[in-house]
Order: sequence, then C-alpha cells, then structure tokens
Amino acid sequence: MNFHHTRRDLLYGLGATLGTVAFNSLLSSAANAAESAKSPSPLAPKKPHHKPKAKSCIFLYMAGGPSHIDTFDPKPALAKRHMREFVRKDKFASAMASGKRYFVKSPFKFKRAGKSGLPFCEHFRHLSTVADHLCIYRGCQAESINHPTANYHMNTGSRFGGEPAVGSWVSYGLGTENQNLPSFIVLPEVNYPQGGAACWSNGYLPAHYQGTPLRAKGSPILDLNPPKGVTKDQQRKNLDLLAQLEKQHQKTHPYNKDLAARLQSYELAFRMQANVPDIINLDKESAWTKALYGVGEPETDGFAKRCLLARKLIEQGIRFVQLYSGGWDSHDYIERSHAKRMRVVDKPIAGLITDLKNRGMLDDTLIIWCGEFGRTPDNGMRGGKKVGRDHNAKAMPMFFAGGGVNAGHAIGSTDELGEKAVDVAHPIRDLHVTILHLLGLNDNKLTYFHGGRFKQLSQIGGSVIKELIA
Amino acid sequence: MTQHGQRHRLLALCLATLLIASLITIFSVLPSFADQPKSKEKAKPLTLNQAKVLFVKHIKPLIDAKCMGCHGEDPKKIKGKYDMGSRTLMLKGGKSGDPAIVPFRPDKSPFYIAVTWKDADLEMPPKERNRLSSQQVKQVRQWIAAGAPFARASDIGIANANASSDSLTMKTSGGLSPSWTNRKYKKKDIWSYLPTSNPTVPYDALPPSAPKHPVDAFLRQRLRDAQLTAAPRADKLTLLRRATFNLTGLPPTHKQINTFLADKSPNAFEKLIDQLLASKHFGERMAQHYLDVTRYADTAGFSNDWERPNAWRYRDYVIRAFNNDKPYNRFILEQIAGDQLDPRNPEHKIALGFLRMGPWEHTGMSVAAVTRQIWLDDVTNSVGETFLAHGLRCAKCHDHKFDPVPTQDYYAVQAIFAATQFNDSRLPFLKSENTKGIVPLRANVARLQKIDAYKPIKDVKGDNSFMRLNKKRKGYLQRAFKRYQPFALSVKSQKPQQVHILKGGALESPGRPVSPGVLSVMSSIHPATVPASAPNRRLAFARWIASPKNTLTARVIANRIWQLHFGKGIVATANNFGAMGAKPTHPHLLDYLASYLIKNNWSLKKLHRHITTSQAYQRASHHPDSTRIARIDPDNNLLSYFRTRRLTAEEMRDAMLAVTTELNPRIGGPPIFPEINWEVALQPRHIMGSVAPAYIPSKTPALRNRRTIYAFRIRTLANPLLDVFNRPNADISCEQRDQTTVTTQVFALFNGQFTHDRALALADHIEKQADTSEQKVSRAFRLVYGRPPTQSQLNVALKHLQKMIVHHKTNPPVKTTIPTTVQREMVGEQSGEIIKWEEKLDLKNYQPDLKPWQVKPHTRALAELCLVLFNSSEFIYVY
Repeated sequence: MNFHHTRRDLLYGLGATLGTVAFNSLLSSAANAAESAKSPSPLAPKKPHHKPKAKSCIFLYMAGGPSHIDTFDPKPALAKRHMREFVRKDKFASAMASGKRYFVKSPFKFKRAGKSGLPFCEHFRHLSTVADHLCIYRGCQAESINHPTANYHMNTGSRFGGEPAVGSWVSYGLGTENQNLPSFIVLPEVNYPQGGAACWSNGYLPAHYQGTPLRAKGSPILDLNPPKGVTKDQQRKNLDLLAQLEKQHQKTHPYNKDLAARLQSYELAFRMQANVPDIINLDKESAWTKALYGVGEPETDGFAKRCLLARKLIEQGIRFVQLYSGGWDSHDYIERSHAKRMRVVDKPIAGLITDLKNRGMLDDTLIIWCGEFGRTPDNGMRGGKKVGRDHNAKAMPMFFAGGGVNAGHAIGSTDELGEKAVDVAHPIRDLHVTILHLLGLNDNKLTYFHGGRFKQLSQIGGSVIKELIA
Repeated sequence: MTQHGQRHRLLALCLATLLIASLITIFSVLPSFADQPKSKEKAKPLTLNQAKVLFVKHIKPLIDAKCMGCHGEDPKKIKGKYDMGSRTLMLKGGKSGDPAIVPFRPDKSPFYIAVTWKDADLEMPPKERNRLSSQQVKQVRQWIAAGAPFARASDIGIANANASSDSLTMKTSGGLSPSWTNRKYKKKDIWSYLPTSNPTVPYDALPPSAPKHPVDAFLRQRLRDAQLTAAPRADKLTLLRRATFNLTGLPPTHKQINTFLADKSPNAFEKLIDQLLASKHFGERMAQHYLDVTRYADTAGFSNDWERPNAWRYRDYVIRAFNNDKPYNRFILEQIAGDQLDPRNPEHKIALGFLRMGPWEHTGMSVAAVTRQIWLDDVTNSVGETFLAHGLRCAKCHDHKFDPVPTQDYYAVQAIFAATQFNDSRLPFLKSENTKGIVPLRANVARLQKIDAYKPIKDVKGDNSFMRLNKKRKGYLQRAFKRYQPFALSVKSQKPQQVHILKGGALESPGRPVSPGVLSVMSSIHPATVPASAPNRRLAFARWIASPKNTLTARVIANRIWQLHFGKGIVATANNFGAMGAKPTHPHLLDYLASYLIKNNWSLKKLHRHITTSQAYQRASHHPDSTRIARIDPDNNLLSYFRTRRLTAEEMRDAMLAVTTELNPRIGGPPIFPEINWEVALQPRHIMGSVAPAYIPSKTPALRNRRTIYAFRIRTLANPLLDVFNRPNADISCEQRDQTTVTTQVFALFNGQFTHDRALALADHIEKQADTSEQKVSRAFRLVYGRPPTQSQLNVALKHLQKMIVHHKTNPPVKTTIPTTVQREMVGEQSGEIIKWEEKLDLKNYQPDLKPWQVKPHTRALAELCLVLFNSSEFIYVY
C-alpha cells in the first residue's frame, strides 16, 4: 500500500480511506499520538463518500418483532384459512415453530390512506395521516428468530454481540456537528432490549463512536452529576487544582500526548453537566407541539417524550438517534397486545414526522421504523384459546420517511399468506448498505481493520435497495 | 468450483456477492467516458514483448486475484455478463456490448477507467480493501497502451509466471478450487509457518560496557542499523512502579518503595523482578490478559444471559497455572484435552472450561443443530485465535482469502471437537481452591429462594406473566445456588458426529465428509495424525499445538508476553499471525524468545524474567533526542525508549483500593459483587419473558473490595467504571486493550460514587496517621504517587485543603440511603399492557463503605484532594 498523505489527511480529508487509517492506527502506538494530538477530534465532521440524501438519522426500533400482517401488509387470504390446523416438521425449525400449527387471520381492519393509498392497520390512525411521507418496505429478511441475536443482527450486521452498531459506523464515517455531545444517542425504555447495551456498542471501533444512552429514568447520562451535596463551586475548585497538577505533569512528561486531550475532556464534561439538562428539557416546547406528539396522554406519553427529544437532539446536530419501544412479542393475544403497541407509537411517530416537516427538517433526516424480525401467519397456540403469532425471520414490517426515500410507495411484497418476502427481498445487510448510502456513505469504503481483515457493517458487502430511494 | 453454484445465497463467497449492481452501473455509464479528454501520455510505450512480460508477471496475476471471482472463475457466477477469461472475451465486454478494453487507448478502456477509481459510479474492484495500488493502476495503463496483449508464460520463455523469488506456493490439504490450491504467497506473509530460525545473538551490537543480555543485543542491533541511540535508564521509582504494575497489576506498597530505593546493590532490579514473579498477584495479572483473549464471563449471554455458576473455577485454574508456573505446553494440553490426558486429575476437568468460554445459549426458539454448530464454530475459532494467532472463522465459508488455510482444514479442526459434549457434573472442591465463606453465601441464596421477592403492583387480568416472572427468578437463583456448589463447567467425549464441509458455511448444505486433522500448511514440518477415536482426538490435536515443532505456538505466547511488558507485541496483532496481521518488527528476537521458552521447559516465569531484566525494559519513557526519533522511528518500533501506558480499568480500580488499604488481597473463590453505580445495578435487564433479579453488591466491604478479576462478569450488564476505561466486551477475543480518552471517563472517575468513596477512605486513613495539614497532604501524595509532593505542589494542595475545610464546615453532607426496593415494569406479552411489580432487594445486614456524613469536615476536605489525585495523570499512567 502506498500512502502519500499524512495520517491526518487520510482520516479527516479523504473519507474514502478510513479503513487504511484504522489499519495504521492499529499498528502504530501511543507514541504516534504526537500527530493525532494535532488532529481534530475523532468526532469532527467528515466528508461523506458521496452527496448524502439525509444528514442525520432517527431509528425507531420496535423491539420484540412487530407483525407485518397486522400493521402494513394485510393478508386477506389468511381469513379463509383461519384456525385451520397443520403440522410442521422441519429439522431446522425451532421447538417454537414445530408441531401443531394454526393459521391466524389478522384481527384488524385495514384502511387505505393518502394519495398513495397505502394500507394501514386501523390502530395507526395518526400515522395514516402522514401516509404520503412513508415508504413502506415488505422485502427485508432477517436470519435469526431469537430476540437477542436478531437484535444484534439488525443493529450491528452480525448475529453475535460485540460488533459496532449502525449508529457507530455512521458516527465513524461522518463525525458529528455538535462537539459537545455524543454523536450517537440512544433513547431506550427503562428496560433495555434483549441483548442489552451491545445493541448500541461501538464493537471494535474506537470508544468515541459508542451509542450513549440517555436514560429514561434517573441521571440521563450516568454520573453526569457528582454525588448529592457536591456543589458546582466545590467541583470547579477541584477541577482547577487538577488542571494545575496536570499542567505541571505535562511539563515533565511532554511526550505523553494524551495528557492534553485528557484535560480537555474534563472541561468538556463540566460543560456537558451544564448543557445536557437544558437540551433534554422539554418544558420549553409549546403545548401545541407536545400535544402533536401525544405528550401527556397516558397511553403515549413515554414514547412521545422520546420522539420529541429525538427531534431536539437532531436539531442540536446529533448524527444518529435510536429510540426503542418494546413489547411487540405477541405470541398470544395479538389483538389485544399489538393494538396496544400500535397505539403507543402511532401518535408520537406521526407527530415526529409532522413536526420535522413543519420545521423543514424532514428532508435532511432519515427515519427508519422496524423491529428485529416479523411474525408468522400461523401460531402454535400456546396454552389454549388465545391467538398470537410466533417469530418470523423471512418477512417483517418496515417503513422509512424523510431524506431521499421513495415516499408514498410500498416496496416489495410477501407471499399470499405473509410467510416470506418474495418480491424485492433483501437480507439485512442490503438494508444497512442502503441506510449508509442515504447518509452519504459507501459500505465498501467504510471499513475498519480488525481481527485480520477490513470489516464493514454489511460484513461481506451488499447492494443498495434502489427501489427504496426516491 | 461446482460447489459454488449450490452455495447458500445468504452466505456466499465474500467477494462474489455484491457486484451485479455495480457492474450494471459500469456499463450503463460507458458512453460518457468516451468523451473524456485524454490524459497526457508521458511514459514511452512498451514494446510488444515487454507488454507480454508485464502481462504474465503482473496483469494476469492481478486479474486472477481481484477480478476472476466475479468475472470468469465460475461460469454460473459471472457478473454483468462480463468474462475476463481471455483477450477475446475482454474485447467483447459485458452486458452493454461495448468492449472492456480498447487496445492502445487506456483512457477509452472501461477496464482501465474502473481500476483508477476516479468516478464514483465506476470503481473496480468495488471494495476499498481490494483496490489496486497506484503501481498496479500504472501497469494496467502501460499494458493497454501497448496493445493489451495476452500471453502464456511459456510463450515468452518464463518457466513459471509466478516463480519470482519473493513468492511461493504453500502445500495444504487443498482448497475448493485449483487456483486457490496453487496460489502464491509472498514470503513476508507466510513467515509464521516457517520453522523458528536459530538466530545467533548479535552481542557485537551491544556497547562494550553493557551487560550481555540477548534481548538487548537483538534490539541494539536494529537501533545501530537505524543509527539511533537508546534512552538512558529510568529512575528507580519509575522502574519500580512500572515493574510492579506490569507483573502484578498493583502499585508498589510503601514498604516495597522504601526497600527498593534503599537497595543500592547492582542486582536490585533483578531481585525485585524475582519478588514480583513470586507474588500471588502475578497470576491474577497474567490471568486478566489471558481471560481477555479467551472471553471469560460468569454468564452465557443472549436472551437469558444465564449464569455459568462454576466458571469461576476455570478462572482460578488459570490464575493458579500462572502462579505455579505451569509449563505452557502442559497448560495447553490441559485446557484442550485435560480429560484425555489424565481422566483422574480433577483439575483437568476444570481446565476444560476453556472450551466453554464463548457466549452460547439454547432456548425454545433455537434450533438444536444450529446452536450445536454455533458452539463448534466458536470453539474452532477460539482455539486457533488463542494458541495459534489464527482466527479460523475466515475459512468457514470458503478457503481463507489471505492465509494458506483451506476450508477443509477449518472443518478438520472442527472435527476434533465433534465428539465433545458439554459436561457440568459434580466435582469436589480442590484443596488449592479458595472456598472460604462459601457456606454462608450458599445459605443466603437458599434463604432468598424461599422469599417471595416480587410483589405485584399492577397485574393485568388474564396475563399470566407473574407466574412466568417468578419461575424466571427461581431459575436465576438456582444457578446462583449452584455457584457455591462443587460442579465444573467442563466437557466430555461421546460418539463423534460426522463433520462435513458446509458449503458457504450453511448447515443446510453439507458437502464432503471431513476427518479430524490439523492445519495442513504445517504438514511438511510438523505433521500430525489425529485418530478417529473419540477419546483421543482432542489430545492428539493439543499435542500438535503444544509441540516445539509447531511454528506458531511458542511464538504466539512469547509475543503476548512481550506485549504485556512493552505495550505492543513484536507482532502488533497478537491474535493474528497471518498475512493480514502485522509483520514482526524483530523477527529474530521473536524466534529467539520462542526458542528460549521451549529450551526452558516452557516456563513463562523464566521468559518474563528474561524480558524484564533487559536494559530495554528499564529505559526511560522519554528519549533525549525525541526530534530525531520522531523522524526515524515515530512508532517507537525499535524501542529506543519505553512506551507509556495508561492503567487498565481493572488496575485503576484495584490500585485505588490498594492505596486506601481497603483491598482484600485474597486469591480466588466464587465471584464477588463490587459496588457499581446504583442506577446501573438496578437497571432492569430484559431477559426472555422477564426482568433479571437486581444486581446486589456483596454485603461487606471485605467481601466486595477484592481484585476486579474476581468480580462477577455479566455479559449484558455494564460496569460503567470499567467499561469506559476500555474493558473489552467479553463476547469477542481481545488481544490488547485500547486506551482511548473519552468524556464519559470523566463522569465515571470524577463524579462516580466509587472514586468518591475511595477518596474518602483514603482521607480517613490519612487522618488516622498524620497530624498537621502538611503531613496529611504529603502523605496523600506519597500514597497515591509513591513520592512526596514538590514544594509547589505542596503549596497549592495546602491552599486547596484550607478552602475545602471552610467549605465543608459550612456545608454539611447530604445523607443518602440505598434503595431497599425497586419497581419493575414490562409489557405483558398477552395483553400489551404494562404490568408492574416491586422487587425487594436483598440488603439484609448490608454494610456500606464509609460515607461523608460519618466523618469530620476535615476528612471530607482532605478527600477532595484525594479525589483530585485519583483523577490525575500521574496516577493513571505508567511511565
């Protein structure tokens, strides 16, 4: 490999060669920090590989596996077979999917909405009002039907934990506009999804790119504030003493180039302590805006607040925000539980899209909605009279909105019963390649040298799903 | 290559998967390039014969390596209908109908335009990492400019096209295609399969006055060649701190400092090294690194993250092995095949826990054949990565792209484990194991099992979630109970299953059957026959690894140990000695160290001693001529000075506890539960169908303030203090810790409860020993830094202390209490409604650490200084 550029040029000038730089930095040592100390922060904005369709991303993650058949992909053919029994014997079927099965029709009515006439489940009343902003996708296929492995796959491109999340890759590729906050922020529920924090891990990428959860309860960022009773003044004095000691130490250890960055991080932390509460404070939002998202309504309040916060974070220049809403794992009682889950997210998401639109931000923001997999058209009838659906990796619901997406269309299709995607069917890696593409990144160029090879989000490369792009 | 066509589409050959779209793009944009202005032709065109030679030597190999995967190798896989198998075909071009090459006109040739990567829509090969070098691009240009002739080696009188001196074929068991089997490797990429050289120690490189240390001779030779000098020796305190942290992971004690500084004998440092190697803490420090590589955790990961109740016995086995200086070859045998080596030795059963270290789970949503395969893949990769610095996973779906490891070998190694099944049977505790206090801990779990700790707050009628919640809790507690019982996380041999090559890595596509075997690339130097009989497979394989003839084993461990001391291996990629790994900076030194290890009966302690007693290890961390060094050896590969490192997360926690004298130095035993950020401790961990019981710290300071290596490691629960300081994820092997500086470190260290508690404990300790403010400040510096403050430091610290005394006299501390219950909620699966419950926390007889409201304002004021010192770089870095 021939390099005629300095590391700095490579890292911050030419997005295309990130992988090689990673390789260099892996092989170089702390002693090489002399150069990196002169370089801007690893989170400084970087040039995309090509002109991006969207600058930032909001990823709405419906943990548990929402059903496509009961949300955006009506299957009237199931009605005829409702409760018809059959047996599945398959060496590669899990205990869950084997044995006696029953076809299950959707308990919901569907309505067509907007100029596009896209079908919506009756419980997506608000979402259907922004139908023409949505690009519904029915072709995505997962590989795993186990929650944590599927969560890892959707989030990191690998079914096993330990690899970088989409948000980490995007932060690595693009940096962020706001140097006072992390580039990749996660808004989980109080309960983390299955698989835990590995769903927003930086994996083998440097720690700067990890997802920072803004916690739903307690301190928004862990230890953002000192223990109770410690005053600002007291902290400032400690910080001043630390700075004095550090400066002396720097003088006697001028070759340790990490020292300057370390001291800077203390100042930044002190500033964040002051700024973060303001940024996450929703009080200054108008009553109208809050109502738009459903803030204050018992059913939607929690998710509405997180959607509103997502908009505020995007406004602050955060590159990638991921929101979680769990509870979609309706093995039984699909009618009761899925209806409830839809109502919980319906108004907040419609509010988010409308709000972004009103503020002129929708075109610059990519919104993704999906879970880790879809659900089966049939069910194993665990324990009697209830009707639900099991996990299905071969078909799942998904929609996009905002920057560059083919709004007002439903792309791809599943078979007659909704068992698997048959048209414009793509594996998750193609979805990842497409997300990166919309954000101005080329998966084949966004690589990092680790464990003996250049790794990439798609693992082995993939293709852009062109039908999803306007 | 017929298998190619049948491959499972989701797992198809890496390169071959993504080209269709890109290729279509190439040909659709062709016309626009026809109009592009010609770039200036500077180079004189080659003669026809020169161009043929160029083709044979460079262009053809390049096309074979980078293009044929999608454009010729397999007729069924041709992308964009473009075959590059012959000149005629290239002139014909692909789908678009336009030729790919216009002879004599590189700028009009799509083939050339594509490889220049000048146009974002026309870039070939499409992956950044396969991109041609500027030299190769130039060669393509020259070749086309000379008419793009094709030729065979024989046509132009070259016997073998690739018989250049720097590349050779490697004999293996054979790849899926002849082109892989016969491919050439650059010599520099296959160094690790060549036998260890027996290098002569270049003593002449040493300055006349220097001790005749072989390690120094090798290093000096390179410095001399680069015309660089070595930095002087570090001062004694720096050396002491460096060696103590590196060998034990702890700071030197007050007594150690006084003894070492007072020892003026010439072998004072050697004596110190011997003491440190004899310390029981040596094994803990070494084990931490080794367990990073093997991915130790006390839980299994995934949906339930169930506890592995007896994993700790493996952790302690590793610590004992290092402390007892178990010969490394023996250590390997026991971990891979201990049961087959000596079935009566109970310790061997524990050692086999190595084979169970990866995250693994089987639930009702898993397919048994799939989870079994996941384990087989995991263990195959892990054995390769740990002992041979070859992550074998790359060869799972296809022959290795860069290394001479055919997919056949991957499944041959996998077949070693085809008879291996999990075994968690009873195994009485050993005398060498620490079982102190196990009885009351077990009794406590038994008590909890009887308590109904979950009280419904909001149940939903018809949603039977509570039944499930309680069942889940019991499952958790059962495993916690087993933690204190004599079982072992182990394996056993049963009837072997037949292993097949899985086409494209897909379980659904078994190919030809494979017999157990070893890496065939070593077969000429170090062959091995693995018997098909179930009980001997692993042993034969382990013996093949743990042999002086294995070209990787000794080098790999010598390199890991070197890395521990110098912050970077002689091979910078300690888990990868393959073509894509770093090349050794000092190959002779590495071979020397590997031979030294083998000659000394694989004694790791002797190797540690040999390395750390070198002059190189004792150099200052700063070179007087830093400008010259920065120019000639910016990465300090030649080790003219010592590399500074930051303490690892565990060292930081342990060192703070050691400094405050709170550290309970007991070795081994069941995992302990340190206090972690309470918000994280009570953070719900969503497991399948429930929320895991809350994390509760061990009840007394003595129980929980032990070394971090004993802390219960939960894969799905972070310990923020450790994780922000780059403690690695336990799911992937970590060959070396990162040292990033991120803001969240400040939150953990400056705001976090742990440091505040340690600062207070230190202040309290000092208050009891010193009278005047001056003495107190001075003592704080001595304890944290190992040295007294300078006059100016004393002055600023005293001033700070006075201000803080004033502050604390007027600001009484805010008393906080530990929560005794926590509210949980989750979405009921059957109702979609939120169900809520309260979990009663097991805090009976809980003894918190010392808190601010229990001490005087003076102590609190002094604690502020201690907090600052714990945050300062002099504490955090090892020079």
